[in-house]
Amino acid sequence: MEDQIVRLTSRLVVPFIQLYGIYVIVHGHLSPGGGFSGGAIFGASLVLIAVSFNLEAGAKQVSPQSASILESGGALGFALTGLAAVVMGGSYLANRAAGFPIGVTGDLFSSGAIFIITLFLGAKVASTIVTLFYNIIEGEKKDGTPEKHSG
Amino acid sequence: MGPLEHLPVLMVVIFFCGAFLMPLLFRWARPICAPLMVAILAAALVMAIIILQSVYQLGPQLYHLGGWPPPWGIELKVDLLRVYMLLVLFVISLWIFIYALRDLGNELKEELIGWYYTLYALLVGSMAGIALTNDLFNLFVMMEICAITACAIISIKEDRECLEASFKYLILSAMGTGCFLLGVAMLYMATGYLNYDYLHGSLVEAIALYPRNLLLAAALFIVAFGTKAALFPLHVWLPDAHASAPSPSSAMLSGLVIKIYAFALLIVFYEVFPAEMLQGVPLNEIILWLGSLGAMFGSIYAMLQTDLKKMLAFSSIGQIGYIFMGIGFNHEMALIGGLYHVGVHAVTKAMLFMAAGVIIYATGVRKISDMDGIGRNLPLTMAAFAVGSASMIGLPGTGGLISKWYLSLGALEMGRPFFVIIILISSLLNAVYYMPIVINAFLYHGEFQFRVKPVPRVMLATLIFGMIVIIISGVFSRPAVVLLEDAVSRFF
Repeated sequence: MEDQIVRLTSRLVVPFIQLYGIYVIVHGHLSPGGGFSGGAIFGASLVLIAVSFNLEAGAKQVSPQSASILESGGALGFALTGLAAVVMGGSYLANRAAGFPIGVTGDLFSSGAIFIITLFLGAKVASTIVTLFYNIIEGEKKDGTPEKHSG
Repeated sequence: MGPLEHLPVLMVVIFFCGAFLMPLLFRWARPICAPLMVAILAAALVMAIIILQSVYQLGPQLYHLGGWPPPWGIELKVDLLRVYMLLVLFVISLWIFIYALRDLGNELKEELIGWYYTLYALLVGSMAGIALTNDLFNLFVMMEICAITACAIISIKEDRECLEASFKYLILSAMGTGCFLLGVAMLYMATGYLNYDYLHGSLVEAIALYPRNLLLAAALFIVAFGTKAALFPLHVWLPDAHASAPSPSSAMLSGLVIKIYAFALLIVFYEVFPAEMLQGVPLNEIILWLGSLGAMFGSIYAMLQTDLKKMLAFSSIGQIGYIFMGIGFNHEMALIGGLYHVGVHAVTKAMLFMAAGVIIYATGVRKISDMDGIGRNLPLTMAAFAVGSASMIGLPGTGGLISKWYLSLGALEMGRPFFVIIILISSLLNAVYYMPIVINAFLYHGEFQFRVKPVPRVMLATLIFGMIVIIISGVFSRPAVVLLEDAVSRFF
């Protein structure tokens, strides 16, 4: 689709969407939202690029390969943050009890491990949205592996 | 806190870490994927054995995730009953995985194998979570992971039948999860707790206040777990799903996945619901009758099948019936029989599906009528099939006899010989459809009509392991029965 209005608008809007997505992710412990909603917003911006320009332009932002790496990496990071608490001497997924620094309530960095987990979760959800999008777009290939898609 | 204290959660987390590592490793270091999976499964098994020892020494253990005590936090619990389930789970999933290493290349595209490992690890991890959790909502989450991965290991084969079957499974299993969640909401509404122990304590009072709500919750739980475990009238998804899946998936689904839901029902009915709740309305009786109907009708349907894997799938419906009968009797002996059958049937059915997988791998034959004379070409495979059949029927020397024996003892001690007759009749029905296959395979006069590929040694070795376990479980059943006696004695 070659539509100047759509392209121009999305080019204008995408940075703000991404910024807002990051805002929602990092403020997960303070305001409504968090890793899942923020990640979905961020992922939607990448899908918007692919839809309003073309798949190559979308793949230039985040290629399907790196999306699928981020996807596994994000989930792995979540699990490992939980394990880090065990190593630090607390229970699995312990936060303050394991010694993660908790700042002053209301500050941006005031949630210890939750902040790290939300970041991983955001990366995971954003990349999952991209991966899902590419899988549906190229569903005809019946392949299932994102790395095969040229994008 | 010593490192051993974290074992309950590590048994679940190790699988989730492994699952998310697999796609990365499959991209960059493909050769180490399979050994790593074997190492993870073996490590989990070792952890379960260590926990078994410490439960014997120190009694049941609790683990609070994140250090939050219940009723707020998620609690994991290890006692003998759960350790038994975990041991069955880890031994069999390790064993099936070793078989799958050889069989998967045959059934799946090369680039999908890494994802299969991911799904496999998630499935085993979620089942370990179902067995370990002491919190209803955590159980719900683990059931969702289990349901979705179980569908995915069917649909990963991507032929028409698999997609259709897994979609049907997905819808019905989602219905089951929906019922479960509604039931959890009812309990939460009445008591304000999700933790098993707290629920158990407060349900005693809540029954007087909200008898209908709690009854509805119990009914919803029966439907939810019944759907997922293929209890008789809710079994419609099972035959297609288990028959069309790749053979390792079939072994996994029929061997373990349906059992874990029966186990979850057992835990909820015996640990969460107080005895008063089961007295007013004959819930146990309903489970008992549905189980008996399943044991009869599963076998009758299986007799009508012409496809080998479909026959095995229908047979699973019959066999899960025994497990539900064991739960429904509300008697110690019968419960031991049902739980013993969880282990025995898991080994037996997994081995039968593996044998079917070897037959399909070597000859491409799926129809039972084409298998005449196959025993001369695949002697070891058909010997395994014969041992498995014997265990399904409950012949002496196999594990199947022990579980049926304890079930029947329980029925007699409850003064209900009628159900002994049902067990006998359904055993005879099992013989009617298993025995002809074995007899025709070995004693058919003509030649086997199809070309036979050589079978990899690893596959045969897994079959030999299965035969050994079935015979050991039939001859030296005492240690496992003693463990189960200790495990269930607190319910009676």
